[in-house]
Order: sequence, then structure tokens, then C-alpha cells
Amino acid sequence: MKKIFSTLLLSSVLILSACQSGGSEGESSSSDGPVTLKVLSSDDFADFRTGVIDEFEKQNPDIKIDLESVAYDQLHDKEIAAFNSGSSGGYDVVDVDEIWTAEYAEGAFIRDVSDMLTDDMKSGILESGMNITKYNDKYYGLPMFNDVLFFYYNEDLLKQAGFDAPPATWDEFVEMSTVLQDQGLVDGNASNWGFSANEGLVCYFTQFLGSHGGQYMDEQGNIVFNNEQGQQALQFMVDMMGKHGVVDTSAVSANDRQILDSFKEGKTAFVSGWSFYWGELNSDDSPVKDKIKVALTPGANGTESSTATGSMYLGISQQSEHPEEAWKFIEFLASKDIQKQQSTEAGSLPIWSDLYTDADLTSSNPQFENMGKQLEYTLSRPSLVNYNEFSKTLQNELQAALIGDKSPKEALDAAAAKAEELKQQ
Amino acid sequence: MKKLQPYLYLTPSFIVVICLILVPIAYALFISFIDLTQNVNKLSDSELWNFVGLENYVEILTGSVFWSTLARTLYITFVSVGLELLIGLSIALILNEQFVGRGFVRGIMLIPWAFPTIVNAVLWRWFYDPNHGMVNGVLAKMGFINEGEYINFLGSAFSALNAIIIADVWKNTAIVALLLLAALQSIPGSLYEAAQIDGASSWKRFVNITFPLLAPAILVTLVLRTMEAFKIFDLIYIMTGGGPAGGTQVMSFLTYQQTMMFGKYSYGAAIAFLMSLFVLLFAFLYIKLLYRDLE
Repeated sequence: MKKIFSTLLLSSVLILSACQSGGSEGESSSSDGPVTLKVLSSDDFADFRTGVIDEFEKQNPDIKIDLESVAYDQLHDKEIAAFNSGSSGGYDVVDVDEIWTAEYAEGAFIRDVSDMLTDDMKSGILESGMNITKYNDKYYGLPMFNDVLFFYYNEDLLKQAGFDAPPATWDEFVEMSTVLQDQGLVDGNASNWGFSANEGLVCYFTQFLGSHGGQYMDEQGNIVFNNEQGQQALQFMVDMMGKHGVVDTSAVSANDRQILDSFKEGKTAFVSGWSFYWGELNSDDSPVKDKIKVALTPGANGTESSTATGSMYLGISQQSEHPEEAWKFIEFLASKDIQKQQSTEAGSLPIWSDLYTDADLTSSNPQFENMGKQLEYTLSRPSLVNYNEFSKTLQNELQAALIGDKSPKEALDAAAAKAEELKQQ
Repeated sequence: MKKLQPYLYLTPSFIVVICLILVPIAYALFISFIDLTQNVNKLSDSELWNFVGLENYVEILTGSVFWSTLARTLYITFVSVGLELLIGLSIALILNEQFVGRGFVRGIMLIPWAFPTIVNAVLWRWFYDPNHGMVNGVLAKMGFINEGEYINFLGSAFSALNAIIIADVWKNTAIVALLLLAALQSIPGSLYEAAQIDGASSWKRFVNITFPLLAPAILVTLVLRTMEAFKIFDLIYIMTGGGPAGGTQVMSFLTYQQTMMFGKYSYGAAIAFLMSLFVLLFAFLYIKLLYRDLE
């Protein structure tokens, strides 16, 4: 019996020491050989990025890329966890949404890269794109695409219902949806939206807020999204599901990724979503390939159109031990060649202004013309250091209105009060 | 020397326990007493530590969010553990009887429990889907609801809470049944024979033999399941994300949200400690109640 115990004791000591030496060995070897960059990317462009890694590694034989991708909804929390985990568990390059800039910059999680920007970048990249990486006059990365919530429609279904053009106003949208439903051209409701409690809901609200003529803050920085236009916007979201019955009531438990499926299968006629939808909708296995068009988001109250922005950029984490190599990778992905390739393959809107008139691109991507138009009508979510806390409150309040627990006015007033409180901090 | 030897043998496990459990707990307790937001890197600079004492705890206990979240969590805990115990005990009693194919049924019963919770959550979210979900389909086929008038189970706070409870019960009843079945099998058959000779009815036999001898196993099961149900997270995270309108926000989700999403580390640590207090309280109550009966 004694023997067994001492063997156990010995082996446990051995295992413990083995673990330790293994750890230190791994660290020391990484400084000599090729540098491995850990990159955390959102799912949406992961396929494309994985595809061009080979090319980058060929150009830079001393850098290896280890790309990890997660769903957008998990991205922020995973990054925060990594930033706080010390150098060993962290990433070198992180995917950052425009709304996180204030938080990440304030927390010193990502590096100021203002000095690394070339004159070419400063003059060539669209200003609206560079602005998302800017906080207190410092730049924190390079944008990877210009994205807004686009309004996609199934031209085939609309033609069958006798409509030649997409809806220009939200009233027309309701009218057309009703006709499509009455004729049985769609399976159930004419569209579905992602109103579940996550960031997508705030984006959709932004789209409705903007297209009803509202905004989050006025020029003086007062919080105004709970004014009449805001209430109308939210009331319309409620009515789409209830009174008008043109939107699936499952919207309150779907997110902005799930609603793509039914549109892709041709079961719904409209969908509002990001630019990566385009690539998905026109992939070879897509039943609606070549049937989809992009229109301006409908308007109301005399507003022609407006939609939410949602671009993302790559930044270098503070804990990275190889910031120069990391910048090389970001520069590579932002380069004109790769941006052009990304636009052709994934359908994203490029960051370089001259690519919008590039003959190759405009002929292969006819939707660019309409997408470019939408870029002129946008509204951004408010930039707050405690953005996530505001966002979560707004999500809960919006949902309370959507499921009928509160009136739009009550819900928005509560969210505005929270925004006011966070602004004071 | 002879006296020291056992402690020496235990040292490795003590070290593991101290490093992996006690140190993190003390660390979290420390964090809950300072004002740590957004940036944990502050921890390496002691000048930035701003001791606030019990302020975090006071803020939590005086806010309404904590109490409504606690009520919701308690509802989920009691209803789901209650159902699991009731159904689990029935299953265990049935499976303890002799019948053809018993081994097969025992194996089948464990399948839901063998699923990872994540899979369980995704599965049930599909089941509840208002358009393509199995639950609506079955209800419509059976004539309880009309075709096309599908219910969005996850669409309102109360029904979403209950939907989550059903998913939880579906998965965890199996482990309750398994634990109770193991205890049932250890009860000697001679006791029942003796009781039968004395003329005890089957109900009397259950109350006077089965239940008292099963009590320790029930205690263990209750403590285990209550603690787990109180900490429910993955089901909520996948199925509702705390929605609709915060209606399924539970304690561990609140902790996660405050800590990981809002970066309020101290506030989150304080909530976590309050949560542990409740779990301890449950364990204490159960032990009091059930062991008293035994003595």
C-alpha cells in the first residue's frame, strides 16, 4: 500500500514538473524561428481571409498566420477575455467593430497605429472608413470593408407579383409584402428580421430610426432618439409584425444571420443585411443566385433613405509581441490587390475610393452601383465608452416594445435615460 | 515522522486545491472590494487600486435588477429540480422492477443526458422554432392549435422561462433517475419480504422502507441539481441570450454580462459571491432537513 502511495506522489510531482518545463520550452522557441501571428476574425470574412493567407505566407516566409474565427456575437467577449489574459493567451491581430473603438482605445487594448499609416493610405482610403478606427485623433487600425445594412430584394418574386421596382417607402414595403403574401408567392410572411436581443437589433433600429428621419444625438450632443421620429420608427417595427402582419413574429428570437436562410431559399422576398449576404446569396449552391438585387432602404416622413453602418477593422492588440509583423498582415489585407480580390470573391465594398470606378470591379459586380448609393444615406450608432451597456439596455427596451410589454415611448424614454446616465460617467 | 507521513502524501492534492480553487477565490474576493472596470491590467499597478469596501455589494443589493434576476433564477431552479426529482424518481422506481428489455430501456434513458448542453440548447431552440419547429408541428397535428397559428415559445418572457425549464428537465432527469436507481438497487430485498409477511401494502413499503433508505441519495441529487440549476447558463445563452426583453436573465448570465460584456469586473465578482452564498444556503438547508429525518 505504501508503495502505491509513494509511486502516486512521485508521478504527480513528475507530471507537474513536466508541464512546467513544457511551457517554458514552447515560449523560448517562438522567438527564433518563424513568427506565428494569432489572428482573431469574425466568421463573416473568415473564408476569404483563410484563402489569402497562403499568398501572404509566400510573400513573408518568416511569418506564419494562425487564424481563428468566431461568430460575430461572441467576438467582443472573446476579445475582452483575451486582452485580459496576459500575453500568452492573447491574439496579435483582432477584428474590431466600429462601436468598440472607444472602449478598446480607452482601455488601451489596441495599439495606436497613427505613425504607421502611409500618405497613400491617408489620401486613398475613404474617409468614412478611416473614421471608424479613429478615437481622440488617433488611428487604431485599417478598415477591411465598408459595410452598412443593405436592403436586398428578390426581383424574381416581385416581378411575379407584378412589381417592376422595389419599395421606395415603408408604406410601399407593407403594401407589396401584403400582395406577395396574398398571392402565396412567399412562404408565410414576406420578410423576416433579426430582432433578438443582440447587436443586430440595435443596427435594425438604427436603420428604422434613420429612415424615419430620426437620429441618436443632435448637433449639441443631446440624446434625441426617443423623440417623435424615434417613436414612429419603433412603432413601425412593432406594427410590421402585429398590425400589418408582414413580418414573421419569430423575428424577436432570430438574429441578423439566421434570417438569411429563408431569404436564400426563396421563402421571403426582402431581407435587410450586411454586404457579406451578397456573396452568400450568389454562391453556387444558392437557390436564388442571380435573382437578388440591392435597393435603397425605404424611407418614411419624407426621408429618402438611411441605414445603419457596421464596418469592421483589424487592429493590433497591446499584448502582441510582434506588432510589426502584425501590421504587415493588416497592410496586406488592406492592400488594393487584396481589397479588389475580396470585392470580387466576397462582394464586400472596398476601402479604396478609386476601386469604386475600377472597370474590372464595376463590370463583375454590378451591385456596386446601388450599394455605393446607399453609402450616402447612413446613420451610425452612438460612440460611447460604455457602448455595450447602453446597447444591452436599448436591446431590452426595444424588445419590451416589440413583444408588447411597453409602449414605444416608454421603452425609448427608459433607454434614453440610461444613455444620459452613461454619458455623465 | 509517522504522523507526518499521511500529510506528506496529501501535499500534492493540497497544492492543487490551493492553486486552482483557494487562490482564485481569494483573488475574486479581492477584486470585488476594489473598483475595477474595463481594464484588468490595472491589477498590476497597486496605485490604481481603489478600495471601495462593500460599495459593489450595496449597489447590487439596492438595485432592482439583482432581485428580479434572483426571482427568475429561483423559479427556474425550483420548478426544474422539482420536476426532475418527481419524474426521475418515477423512472427509477419503474426501472427497478423486473421486465423484458429493462437493460435496453435503461440505456435509452441516458441518451439526453449524454448530449452536451450546447447541443441540447440548439436542439431545443429548433424544436421551439415558430415556423419549422417540431413542438408547433406536433401541437398542430394533434389539433391543439390551428395550422399557421404557430406559437413563438421563446417570444415572451414567461413562456421562454418555461421552455428553458422543459429543455433542462429533458436533459437532467436522466442523471437524477440514474442516481436514484443506483440507490434503490442497494436496498436489500429481504426488507421488502419481511414487510410483505407483516402485511404492509405497497404504499406503506414505499413510505417506510424505500423512502427513508433513499433519502441520502435524494439529498445528494437535490444538492447537486439545485446548485447546477441555480448556475444555469449555456441553455439561456444559446436559446434566448437572456431575452426577450431580459425576461430570461438569470444570475450567471447577469454575472457574465456585467463582467465580460460591460467590463465591470468588480461588480461581476460581487454578484458571483452573492450567488455562491445562495448555493451554500441551499446545501445547508437540504442537509438540515434531510439528515434530521434520518437520525
